[in-house]
Amino acid sequence: MANLWEIKANGYMPQRAYLKLMVNGGMSLSKVILLNLRELRRLRVIPSDGERYSRPSRQYEIPTFQEGMRSCRSTEKYLRPTLFCDHHDPLVIAIANELGAFKVSDREFAEAAYHFVKERMLLEERTINDVGETLVRGTGTCFHLITAFIALCRCAGIKARYKIFAMNMIRSWYDVVIQPDPFIKKWYDSLGYFVLEGEGEVLVDGEWLVANVGPEAEWQAATGTTITKLGEDSIGNWFNAVPGTMMRMESLPYGLKASLDLLHTIAPGSMERVNISMAAQKERGRRIIIEAGGLEAYDRLARARQGPRMPKLKLESMKQITFDG
Amino acid sequence: MGYADYLNGFEKLVTGYVPERSSWGPPEHALYGPPDPYRVPTEEANDLCFKAIKFQFDRHFHNNRMYHDFCLESNVCPEDITSFQDLCKVPLIPNEFFKDCPSGKDFALWLANVYTGELPQIQIKGANPTTDEVIKAFNDAGMAVFFSSGTGGRHTFMPRDMRSFQMNEYAMAKGVVAMFYPHWNQNMHGYLLLPNPFKTNLFAGRLGTIFVDIMKEVEMAIDREIDTELIKLSMSDGKGLKGRMVNYISKKRHQKIINDIISWIEKNQREGNEMAFVGAPFLLYATIKKLKKEGRSFDIGERGAVLTGGGWKIQEHQRIPESEFRNDVESVLGIRPEHCLDLYGMVEGNVWLTQCPEGHYLHIPNCYVHPMVLDDSYQSLGYGKVGRFAFLDGSMYSYPGFIITNDRVSMLERCPVCGRPGPVLEPGVTRVPGKESRGCAEEVRKMISVDMKR
Repeated sequence: MANLWEIKANGYMPQRAYLKLMVNGGMSLSKVILLNLRELRRLRVIPSDGERYSRPSRQYEIPTFQEGMRSCRSTEKYLRPTLFCDHHDPLVIAIANELGAFKVSDREFAEAAYHFVKERMLLEERTINDVGETLVRGTGTCFHLITAFIALCRCAGIKARYKIFAMNMIRSWYDVVIQPDPFIKKWYDSLGYFVLEGEGEVLVDGEWLVANVGPEAEWQAATGTTITKLGEDSIGNWFNAVPGTMMRMESLPYGLKASLDLLHTIAPGSMERVNISMAAQKERGRRIIIEAGGLEAYDRLARARQGPRMPKLKLESMKQITFDG
Repeated sequence: MGYADYLNGFEKLVTGYVPERSSWGPPEHALYGPPDPYRVPTEEANDLCFKAIKFQFDRHFHNNRMYHDFCLESNVCPEDITSFQDLCKVPLIPNEFFKDCPSGKDFALWLANVYTGELPQIQIKGANPTTDEVIKAFNDAGMAVFFSSGTGGRHTFMPRDMRSFQMNEYAMAKGVVAMFYPHWNQNMHGYLLLPNPFKTNLFAGRLGTIFVDIMKEVEMAIDREIDTELIKLSMSDGKGLKGRMVNYISKKRHQKIINDIISWIEKNQREGNEMAFVGAPFLLYATIKKLKKEGRSFDIGERGAVLTGGGWKIQEHQRIPESEFRNDVESVLGIRPEHCLDLYGMVEGNVWLTQCPEGHYLHIPNCYVHPMVLDDSYQSLGYGKVGRFAFLDGSMYSYPGFIITNDRVSMLERCPVCGRPGPVLEPGVTRVPGKESRGCAEEVRKMISVDMKR
């Protein structure tokens, strides 16, 4: 149990923007529930003759932890264990060492961890748990997968943190994540955005690189987006962040687990329907990639569809421009 | 009259647009040097063009942080550009980039950060300056910041300095005068089918500045102040109370403009003056339509010239076929098709393509512009294929004029009709599907709300 100092220092207390999102999300959810009680009752469970979700098997072998494997023991910010993200877990240490912790450069390790989580761990709607459990299972929500990435990086002594925001999504994502379940759809539509989404960020060579480890390549192909790389953002790609909601956190905050638990208690059927839809879409994405001639060929096509690359402009003040007022 | 004397007459009128020859660098030699930008032998054109673009690429790479970083990201630096064949390596900026700008004080910083080189001292008043206030402050300090707009209402802003703007004006006028040889003369009375260039920062309007210098007693179709707000309202298709009011007033004004144009033709016809119409084709089209309806026609003949530009839309979903327009101009105004030429250019560059009188193909001034046609993966397609137009502008000092447009074109190595060397675009430039319609003529059309059916 964390003491008060740890709670404050590690950022376990939700930020004001986070609380605001939770309150708005909670109120909107209550309204949807109250106005749709009968439908919710019907949707709570999947009918016995309905399609059920079956979790795919883990996509990797679990390496054995051995005494003497190195891990970062720093208590510095972004390097210490936080809620659900204990990188001192033997499984995290074993995987981090297998990925080259302390043997390769920070960038190489961040790339390896990124590819491991993005390509070998699978998206699945479920409640929050500790990172070790996630790695044993090999599946999880974006928060589980980000946590796995952050834990691996911290274990290798590379600073990593959460970037959390409310967002709305492009149509092809909406069709797959929101549309399949009437309850989720009503909630999203009533708010106009999705309450919480996240990405990881890792500090490499003095620069925070974004790591969107959530969607696998097949999923991205099914939604027509590019196969993102380390440093490429979901924002402006398939998500748009709601202004004023962007938060950088060392830890997942208190309350996140409870809110996800509540959602799974209220609407387990809806969560399962989202998982069924995601599995079907990943299968479709697999076919799209094959038809395109492989992963690289698909990515080239998707990037061409996106339009040409834009320069990035950092607004810097200039001595020649003066403002009166 | 020989071409040298003809050109000399033009050059005397535009001395204010040309810097001292002793100060010329490669861009000036490429733009001001050739007597006819569309008749430079290919080898000489390639040499001039390469030197100008190389000069500008080095300059932008070293003096523009945004472009410097963009080049490094693209793994291209000045050492990689050593021959004409290397020009395809120059990193291109999508024109969408110039639409994506913030508002208020940040807009001023955006302009300043896009700009290459030393800015003058610019003082901006107010805690939250409007877009027009920022533009005014820049232009009061000696810059030439202009805007253009798409139908979606998103403006494109280009921070030129006066040197680049004067090069733009000169290049456009010289190309036109060269193509009209021997038809242009300084005693032509001009009618600008455009806004008054001295009352707007709209690029479509400001373009007319040089025509006031090379023609006599120039009249303007729209003689009022036009700012970004008015354009936004005009392009909003009458949404909102203000938009509806603007559209109502514009509709009323439209008929007056058509009547003014007819009166102007009558007056000059009586006086035996030479006449030139310059600007948005739909206004002349509307005039011709009215004259046709009234069963009237003129025989301007050799005394007339028509220079159109900015697109061929006459209604939301209708374009004027160019050949039909030229036939109408001939049958109603008596101006021959070879004296009726179209001009293609855009706010993002000093690139002006003029139709040849013989075949109405759009000739590219390849002595300072390197044109490209790109496929869907933004790779160069070469000649004879349809794709997205892109160019490297060797004359642009103010920002990296290496641009990918949203225009769909087909480029040929030579004009199949006339004997001029150098590449051409086939007539009938259209927009890439999914990209908003725009063009100077479309802005003017929206501004005076012309629905020919009404």
